[in-house]
Amino acid sequence: MFVEDVLIGAVRSGTAVLFAAQGEVIAERSGVINLGTEGCMLVGALAAFATASASGSPWLGVAAAIGVGLLMGCLHSFFVVTRRANQLATGLAITFLALGVTAALGSDYVAKEVNPLNPVPIPLLSDLPFMGPILFDHDILTYCGLALGPLLWVFLKYTRWGLVLRATGESGAVAFAYGHSPSRVRYLAVMAGGALAAVGGAQLVLAYTLNWVENVTVGRGFVAVALVIFAAWNPLKATAGAFVFGGAVSLQLQLQARGVDISPFLLNMTPYILTLAILVATSRGRAQRAPDEIRAVFGTAGA
Amino acid sequence: MIATGHEAALHRRHVVDLELLHALVLPLLLLVGFVAISQLFDVSLDDTLIRATPFVFTGLAVAVPARAGLVNIGGEGQFVAGMVFAAGAALALDDKLPATVLLPLLGVLGALGGLVWAGIAAVLKVWLSLNEALSTLLLNFVAPLMLGYLVFGPWKDPANYSNLPQTAEFEGSARLPVYGLTQLHLGIPLALLAAVVVWVVLDFTRWGFRARVLGGNPEAARRSGIAVRRTLFIALVAGGALAGLGGMIELTGIEGRLRPGIGVGFGYIGFLASWLVGHRPLEILPAALLLASISIAGDSLQIDHNLPSTSVYILMALVVLAVLGLRGGTRRAEG
Repeated sequence: MFVEDVLIGAVRSGTAVLFAAQGEVIAERSGVINLGTEGCMLVGALAAFATASASGSPWLGVAAAIGVGLLMGCLHSFFVVTRRANQLATGLAITFLALGVTAALGSDYVAKEVNPLNPVPIPLLSDLPFMGPILFDHDILTYCGLALGPLLWVFLKYTRWGLVLRATGESGAVAFAYGHSPSRVRYLAVMAGGALAAVGGAQLVLAYTLNWVENVTVGRGFVAVALVIFAAWNPLKATAGAFVFGGAVSLQLQLQARGVDISPFLLNMTPYILTLAILVATSRGRAQRAPDEIRAVFGTAGA
Repeated sequence: MIATGHEAALHRRHVVDLELLHALVLPLLLLVGFVAISQLFDVSLDDTLIRATPFVFTGLAVAVPARAGLVNIGGEGQFVAGMVFAAGAALALDDKLPATVLLPLLGVLGALGGLVWAGIAAVLKVWLSLNEALSTLLLNFVAPLMLGYLVFGPWKDPANYSNLPQTAEFEGSARLPVYGLTQLHLGIPLALLAAVVVWVVLDFTRWGFRARVLGGNPEAARRSGIAVRRTLFIALVAGGALAGLGGMIELTGIEGRLRPGIGVGFGYIGFLASWLVGHRPLEILPAALLLASISIAGDSLQIDHNLPSTSVYILMALVVLAVLGLRGGTRRAEG
């Protein structure tokens, strides 16, 4: 059934973006934008694929991705928190670095195979008509991703550490006055964000594409950063945004598979145009909800 | 942190030192790097000049909007849009018009292509406050698909025995003149000229001044009566037009036909070039030379050592990160 296939695909292809977007929510809530999210996904994907391919265990791959993701986050933090370099330029340079590193180290892994993260259907729930296969017949990482949005929402809204994180993003000076080091909070937040983006990359190659190619993420990390803005820094809306992107990817693949007579190039545009379109459609008044320190980064005349 | 008078004085001196570093030392260092890479990897000067030309245009495409405080990451897509616009006209008119008419027309159309592509982001920025860094970035993923659609579909060379996805080769009237028997084309002096023109406009005209005020302090700009929206709009589309012109020059100076894969990464490399030198138009020239020599070295890595040519992004990114990190930022310290 067409709709069901599209929705199953939406969850499968949206999960990588979901992880990256939730990571970026954490980083931006602390006041740091990380365009290196794309790079974090790339190194996470390669680390996961290479480790899984060498060890045979996809879960070791995921662990490796978390490790390199933390490192990438630490690198971004060093430049933008410690050295106060421009966040957008640093992020893009880090993504460029990641493109180069993964291209050089990854060339041996092109066309290699890997033990994937296999779907683990949840008993009973997966037998539900329609919703069962869409939500309850996936790999474990996808279930984690589904749970991540609500968990992060509760963390931000109801926990002490969530409050500290949000306070740092609104005003580092205020957080400092209350005895928290904004630098430390931002380091931790960006590293957590890097790790989540890297897990997204791992999910992409271990559960979705099942192979490694140069630049395997093709902009998913950038899309994640854009979705965070659409989501107004709300993890629940970020989850929704990720699945809308996943839905667009899935829809165009399903249309191609069914031999619809539209150029695949035009179909391939839809996920990016759709991301831009939802940013446009929801743009009104959103800038006011940005954490203050983020507004300072984007800091041009609001026009 | 409360700055005492002494600290403030120290800070001021620090800033002055950095300005000096920029004006003299950095361009020199870039040139030294360029010479070193060229010697080390045996890169020819001709090749480097040819490769640096598109980087100058995509670098200027970042520098102009940056003066008004805008971050244009869309040089990649604007470059492609410029190539597509120019290629369409070249295919239609290369047997009808002489080079003296056609080439300027293609230049205008290339610039128009980049302008339109940046214009999408500019409209979204000015009327919906949609951040231009993200919109230009997302559009980068759309432009190559548009190119792919055209060369696999309606523009595919009909007399093409190998069935490659590419257009027919343009007639001589749609090719930039070259110097003697070399591949050095007219685009190289044009890149130099573009950098000088951008420098003059940004540093010595009223518009350039207004853009700088806007980039430095939007509130002050608004209060002093600067037309904020119009200045932002013009800055971003002018950047796009420069990238698009760069695309037209690469297309008509080097390639002679449209195919996928031309100029992949050039927009991002221009972004790095402009950030490397703090968006100073003239200094983009040595930055482009350095990045071009690294880029050419990457081609030889691919041939000699079977490494993907994108491996050299590592070196480019490290150079830029080092400069960004050393330069640091002006955000006030807290804890």
